Amino acid sequence: MGFFIEMLPELARGLLITLKLIACSAPLGLMIGFAVAAARSYGPRPLRAAARAYQSALRGVPLLVQLFLLYYALPRLGIVLSPFAAAVCGFSLCGGAYHSEYIRSALQSIPTAQMEAARALGMRRSRAVWHVILPQAARCSIGGCGNEIVSLVKYSSLAYLVTLVDLTGAGKLIAYRSFRFFETFLIVGLIYLALVALTSAGFRLVERRANPNHDSDPQRSWRCRTVAALAPSVPMARPGKDTN
Amino acid sequence: MTPTDLLSALPRLIAGAGMTLLIVVVAVGGGVLFGLPLGVLSFLNPPSRLLRLLLWLFDKLFRGFPALVLLFLIYFGLGSLPAVTISPFAAVALALGLRSAAYQAQLFRSALGMVHRTQVEAARALGLSQPRTLIYILLPQALRFSLPGLANEYSAVLKDSALAFTVGVVELMSRGKFLSMATRDTTTTYLLVAAIYWLLTQLGISLFRLIEHHRRIPGLGSSRIAGSRGNGGG
Repeated sequence: MGFFIEMLPELARGLLITLKLIACSAPLGLMIGFAVAAARSYGPRPLRAAARAYQSALRGVPLLVQLFLLYYALPRLGIVLSPFAAAVCGFSLCGGAYHSEYIRSALQSIPTAQMEAARALGMRRSRAVWHVILPQAARCSIGGCGNEIVSLVKYSSLAYLVTLVDLTGAGKLIAYRSFRFFETFLIVGLIYLALVALTSAGFRLVERRANPNHDSDPQRSWRCRTVAALAPSVPMARPGKDTN
Repeated sequence: MTPTDLLSALPRLIAGAGMTLLIVVVAVGGGVLFGLPLGVLSFLNPPSRLLRLLLWLFDKLFRGFPALVLLFLIYFGLGSLPAVTISPFAAVALALGLRSAAYQAQLFRSALGMVHRTQVEAARALGLSQPRTLIYILLPQALRFSLPGLANEYSAVLKDSALAFTVGVVELMSRGKFLSMATRDTTTTYLLVAAIYWLLTQLGISLFRLIEHHRRIPGLGSSRIAGSRGNGGG
């Protein structure tokens, strides 16, 4: 028991870094996701192709390889990132590619008649997207994007492999010093599990709040459920509300 | 890196890719082996409270832990216990396989749920026993529904397999690391590694699409079941 109390401060320091990583990467990832989704849905043809290529490249390559490219390969081109910056860049660029799929399918689930009506009323396309389409699409993409942020909590552990001492890194240092590998990694895993449970419970709450009449409006609830099915190539979202 | 360097490095990278694929096949195959019974079990919602608790624990433990922490727990944690020796490859196969099993259990459970309840009622009314209903009515449809999810699972496990280098399995990622140290050209090396991973992802997904197309039943709803996870590397 003394061992756990002894290692607590060090784990807490690691946990703080992990939380900082998540707090920086999640909003950045969402922003990139929206930009890419909008480019793919409403952009001119070359922009659409670029957005597709971005999604395919970042979703087809392990995040670890992306992090290594950012941290070990970029310095050769004269761009030196700190471990923290490299991790945040990697997580938000990669997360953005996944977010963009959820957001795009949500954008496309809104009937095109709404865009036509907004245009007929004299709105510019960008205004119509921002004021008419997005508020509805955002509600539908909470499930998918929430899942992605829940996985961010887990894959933030890769930051340790670009030398950042986050929760996993702190665990590894403690394990090597004390030779109590099993207990240490079990505790570290349980902390991640608690974070995952908290995050997914939070998103479920937000989802319920954002869709107050979800079940009484059959059209909308149907639409939100089909968002998952619309996601192309590799389908990603789960049908139920269960998160990781 | 000069083009000749690149050409001489390629065979080693391809050997690494072979190892990566071996890891993926073992992990996804093991995942089906364990995940399918677990998925059926949780679909049937067993009355035993203990069994349900165990299913829940398995799910939480293997889906809620980051892959890296799970791998460390198995390789360093289990490996440090007396009387346990575990090779790096076995640790990776076990970690990724069990993780995949937990994800696939969810996948199969929701695929079974997609078959309409009335079909079960009709089968039971025609006198099929419960196991027969499962084997002849539910599974043939549910397995088809879960194919896109399996493709997703393949790509997720492929990407997670890059973590194997942290415990010393010589696969694509570690070959890349050795090569980058030998040539000191990290940029070209990791871009090359990334390209190979990308190719493997695309090839695997096309293969699954081919199977899906080949095994489709004309007229059976093309409702694609959602996959099991978003990002790999978790």
